[in-house]
Amino acid sequence: MTELAEVDPLVTETADRLFTQVCDHEAVQTAEAVGTAPEIWSAFAETGFPWISIDETCGGSGGTLLDALEVLRLVGYHAAPIPAAETGILGGWLLADAGHEIPEGPVTVLPNGATDVKGSLSGQEVTLTGTCIRVPWARMAERIAVLLEIDGQNMVASVDPNDCVIHTMTNMAGEPRDTVCFDNVKAPASSASEANPETFRFRGALSRSALMAGAIEKMSQLTVTYTNDRVQFGRPVARFQAVQQHLVWGAQEAALARMAAETAAREANRGLASFEIAAAKLITNQAAARATKACHQAHGAMGMTQEYPLHHYSRRLWAWRKEYGGDAEWSRWLGKAAVAQGAEGLYPLITGGSSVLS
Amino acid sequence: MTELTEEQVRSELELVLERRSADTRLTTMGAGSDDLEDGRQYLAGTVDGGWHVPTWPHEHGGRGASPSQNALIGRLLREFIVPDLYPFAIGLGMVGPALLAHGTQKQQDDWLRPIASGSSIWCQMFSEPEAGSDLANVALKADRDGDEWVLSGQKTWTSRAMWADWAICLARTDPGQPKHKGLTMFALPIDTPGVDVRPLTQMNRDAHFSEVFVENARALDAWRIGDIGEGWRVAMTVLAHERAGGGSRGGGDGNARGIRVPGWISDLRDLGVAEDRLWQNEVVKIYSHDGVSRWTSQRAADEARASGAPGPAGSGAKLRSVKSYKDRAYLSNRSAGCYGMLSDGHGYIETMTAPSMSIRGGTDEIQRNILGERVLGLPGEPRLDRDVPWNESRRGLL
Repeated sequence: MTELAEVDPLVTETADRLFTQVCDHEAVQTAEAVGTAPEIWSAFAETGFPWISIDETCGGSGGTLLDALEVLRLVGYHAAPIPAAETGILGGWLLADAGHEIPEGPVTVLPNGATDVKGSLSGQEVTLTGTCIRVPWARMAERIAVLLEIDGQNMVASVDPNDCVIHTMTNMAGEPRDTVCFDNVKAPASSASEANPETFRFRGALSRSALMAGAIEKMSQLTVTYTNDRVQFGRPVARFQAVQQHLVWGAQEAALARMAAETAAREANRGLASFEIAAAKLITNQAAARATKACHQAHGAMGMTQEYPLHHYSRRLWAWRKEYGGDAEWSRWLGKAAVAQGAEGLYPLITGGSSVLS
Repeated sequence: MTELTEEQVRSELELVLERRSADTRLTTMGAGSDDLEDGRQYLAGTVDGGWHVPTWPHEHGGRGASPSQNALIGRLLREFIVPDLYPFAIGLGMVGPALLAHGTQKQQDDWLRPIASGSSIWCQMFSEPEAGSDLANVALKADRDGDEWVLSGQKTWTSRAMWADWAICLARTDPGQPKHKGLTMFALPIDTPGVDVRPLTQMNRDAHFSEVFVENARALDAWRIGDIGEGWRVAMTVLAHERAGGGSRGGGDGNARGIRVPGWISDLRDLGVAEDRLWQNEVVKIYSHDGVSRWTSQRAADEARASGAPGPAGSGAKLRSVKSYKDRAYLSNRSAGCYGMLSDGHGYIETMTAPSMSIRGGTDEIQRNILGERVLGLPGEPRLDRDVPWNESRRGLL
């Protein structure tokens, strides 16, 4: 067995410090009102963090996928309103995979792949037509990395968003999820090497699991702090058993989500990880539902207001839960995988994970 | 009064109201529009027949109905279009019954009919930053000055304050008494000098809750509801009516005559998830729970109106109806798949509002305490500050 990679502690420490400085409650609130957060993005980009795990020869920052996912966990933990996953392990990965130049600014991707966009190839150029919704931060992207299949070949086009019509829209958390219209948009395209709709979908789920694990952990911590400060009936409400039960739910969901996300990250870092990623997305989805319920209830009315930060996390979790596969989608995938192994293969699948599926 | 038949009630209601169709959808409490006109017209149209608050005396906008008549009218009203009465609900469902129980003749004469006719809106100044679940910890003080009282302090989570003409305000008149004993209830015009309403924005973007700052606002002693030091008793009447669902008539869509499938289910069908067996299972579970929840609420409300003093049944009803609302909201939003994550997605406003349902009007935990202690007779929560003078417990003795 190969040695398991570890997260570089310097990545955790630096990213956490950066977001603590630039990403407080007011900054996140302002980003939602304004629609983008250029200052937070600049501070983030300056560290090179957006391009971790993308090879330096392609214009990335090097480092492992494990480190990139650790940064995403912290993006979730601080509710950082920036296209971190899209620029790095999704869009950056697609561009690098097909040998495109990595731009200096943010990159985004079409979350459904290109199912809503049609392309025709002419030499090294593709012409795109169609409309795609829920595109993260398209309004501030320098490139849109479009993965599409042409004549049985997976291609990646590097689209200039200025050639598209972009209608701004948001998700439940107020994060940009724009509608992008391609009307005979021409863009350079080249063949992908490992990127295809399946690997992209799994990477998407992996990115959301990391973000969600971070957000659930923060929510749990906020709840413990708040209920220890909040005095009713002559004592902190955290002393009441009925409230403690909520705190335990929050904490155990945070631990569960992080464990699942980190296991998937570690396996993905080694190679094949479809089973772990599917399980991680389902687990974080379900943990998000239970944790948001418990944490909101323990906060009482204060947690429902704009002025208290809980909603930055709960609303993001509700939105992320639905991106790159909701509960039903991953339950079905896991169910099919288990059934395909037969009764005797079930236990080996649970203990061995993706290595059994190969 | 002679017994009313269904047909009599229906034909009278038809004169003033429009029938509901399968397409009629309800709006979400507090997150609807700011349009007061539909509610005003409905109440103005039904007040002469006493149809909306049938158990109130005729002279106050009711029709002196018996509990069984009241239940009949309530059931038949659901066949008609009843607008979102959210802005009027405190007056109709909570202040009105409390005035009937504790108000003077003059207070009833002055305030009840305008509530029933929709011409005056009331809000409830109860919660404070340090008095939420622990409502008896209210600190807003009222000092006597001849025929007047001088009120100072801060209230919060005051819903509907921006529309209100009047507030009922729970105030501390004797800080030397234990916390439940030194309280007195007042009515206060919201435009009284010294009263400042500042809206709070919720995470569902609704801004119908406010903070209310009160500085040397003067209330007449004639506006005091109940005796001095009896404020807690009046507050309990108000809250029991809130839990019992007073004023929420018109709720629960889709059970109008001839409409079998509630709107939220036909919406799901339109989303194309109806073929899925797992979804069907969830839908039927919620639908069944909804029915039980509606009947429980109806029973609690009828008992409350019949006895004039709602009991702990209201807590059970509130727990159930909150669960119904939340389950429906989450299922609707989930059914929209990835499109449900957009801020114009299916079930967005309900999902954003859902967590507040088990908090506002008394948290689930408080409701369960009430059921545990008053229905099951379980040992009470420790109440360390119960017999300690309020001004001493405030100094951190505990």
